[in-house]
Amino acid sequence: MPDDVLGALLAGAEPDELATDTHRRSAIEALPPASRDWGRIDARSEEPRWGMLVDAERCIGCWSCAVICRSENDVPVGMWWNRILTDGDGLDTPSVDEHGQLSMEWLPLACQHCDDAPCEKVCPTAATFTDEEGIVGVDPDRCIGCRYCMAACPYGVRVFNWGPGEHAPGVDEGMVAPRPVGTVEKCTLCVHRLAEDQVPSCVVSCPAQARIFGDLNAEDSRITQLLRDRGGEQLLGSKGTEPKVRYLPPRRRRSL
Amino acid sequence: MSLATPTSTSTSARPGARLLAWYALLGAGVLVGIASFAYQWQTGLTVTGLTNAATWGLYIVVFMFLVGISAGGLIVVAGSELVDSHRFEPLSRLAVIVSGTAVLGAAISIIPDLGRPQRAWAMMVSPQLMSPLVWDMAVISVYLTIAAIDLWILTRPTPMPRTLRRMAIVTLPVAVLVHSVTAWIFGFLVARPFWNTAILAPLFISSALVSGTALVLVVTYVTARTTAWRPPSTIYADLARLLVWFVAVDLFLLATELITAYTSQTAYHLAPLEMLFTGRLAPLFWSQLVLGVAVPLVVYATPALRRRTPLVVAAAVLSILGVFAKRVNILMPGMYDLQIALDPGIPLGRAGQGFGIDTLYVPTVVEYGVMLGLFAFLAMLITLGVRRWVAPAAATTERP
Repeated sequence: MPDDVLGALLAGAEPDELATDTHRRSAIEALPPASRDWGRIDARSEEPRWGMLVDAERCIGCWSCAVICRSENDVPVGMWWNRILTDGDGLDTPSVDEHGQLSMEWLPLACQHCDDAPCEKVCPTAATFTDEEGIVGVDPDRCIGCRYCMAACPYGVRVFNWGPGEHAPGVDEGMVAPRPVGTVEKCTLCVHRLAEDQVPSCVVSCPAQARIFGDLNAEDSRITQLLRDRGGEQLLGSKGTEPKVRYLPPRRRRSL
Repeated sequence: MSLATPTSTSTSARPGARLLAWYALLGAGVLVGIASFAYQWQTGLTVTGLTNAATWGLYIVVFMFLVGISAGGLIVVAGSELVDSHRFEPLSRLAVIVSGTAVLGAAISIIPDLGRPQRAWAMMVSPQLMSPLVWDMAVISVYLTIAAIDLWILTRPTPMPRTLRRMAIVTLPVAVLVHSVTAWIFGFLVARPFWNTAILAPLFISSALVSGTALVLVVTYVTARTTAWRPPSTIYADLARLLVWFVAVDLFLLATELITAYTSQTAYHLAPLEMLFTGRLAPLFWSQLVLGVAVPLVVYATPALRRRTPLVVAAAVLSILGVFAKRVNILMPGMYDLQIALDPGIPLGRAGQGFGIDTLYVPTVVEYGVMLGLFAFLAMLITLGVRRWVAPAAATTERP
């Protein structure tokens, strides 16, 4: 029985292997499913449709997810597939309302993987596509670099390879091939990790567990349950793009 | 090529030398363009001023502008044919040359904007038919073909009025489509409220008529000044009378769009308007309205003024510049206006650039170089075309 229970869990050990006494066993079973199988996709239906739920109340604005995304996906310097916007008075300053109440919230923003993706509709070469599991992807071989998709995206989450990408030392050993100069790229929901039953790297790296990833078609997935229990807002819902990334707004104001 | 027609001695003592200098100047311009484009090809679009926040810039402005310019000639010719007006018949060849050159220029201008022009064939081989960009490629190709056929018909030794008339029936709807589809490239985007308006297509048509007719007027004047060809002396006043209507409609459509957006008083409509009225685009916007619309309109509409040919030509030049400014003022507010404008904004795309919410776009020398080359090339084509098909023909039919 290892002393480092969390480390063993992260390494993929089953809770049963770790529990030697009833006290510890019940403590582990009390953990939410996402912690028990941390980093693993919790449920998968016959026809998965991947989605993400961002709990804005839990987000602490640390940018961990944004940084790990860059190393995971070999994103060049100057570009971000995933970033944290601050709803306050500037990047690191809270806004003050008329009663002197401070407020600052964060909006983690990456591709929303829309069901009705405006970027896909305008692409002249079908380089942007939606795969059978609902992920909006870009095929760099087909992309001619017209950037029409960037004009069409209301969320501003696509980035273009203006020139040869520069990489910080140690951040050019990602899990995916670099994209050629003159093409558009963006979040893929870490499609390469899904094949290995792993959740996207932004989800696993979030210290506040603000991101919940899963199969929207699986009845027993945590994301489906949370969407059922707490709802989940779509960003710029009035644009009719039907994103598969949803947001849980903060339920109460943080006191700062 | 026989250039020096010694029938007129008043314009120039040595037209041959001047023409040679003109071609040399344009040739130098084309070389600058080729060199600039080669440099951009080598290094990528990183040598432009474009960023992930302003992804379209000068190249797209020039594209919109040239598509518009191409309207004038073909519509004036086709329109006159259909209403049996022979007033502009002497301008037929010249107008078709200007139109055809402009639409060819529009097709070329999109190439340097592509990240990977070498793969542009994918648009033709396996197009995604929902994309307005694909429709535009198709309709521009048809338009270019029509211009070529029109020019062929007009340069036959025997006139073919009935064929020309049949062509006109095809030309007008295609011309309307060219400008509409170009407008829809922008107008269909829900992400850009400033562009997402039904009036964009009519607005593109009216601007096209203004700039296209104005350019035909200017080229007519330059040709008459530098060759033996003489159009009817009333042609400038006639074109100016046409321009009164085109400019007025263009102004009306712009006004109704801006007033509708302004009176709505909703934030997402007001943000781009503030950019135009008082923000960073205000100098260009107000110059466009005063110098590009109001001043020319007064010249075209006042009978005493429009009889003074040099004044009308100057007004036409202002109209062309005004429509160019208008293209900038349509593109940039749409580009700058983010739907989620929270700090720190969009990663601009290059090392050291950081993020930006409404990052100013300024074209670089490379972009200006490429476009200089394109305009020099188009001016060369127009000069060659006019010398080949307009001016020599005049040598035999010149009026006393």
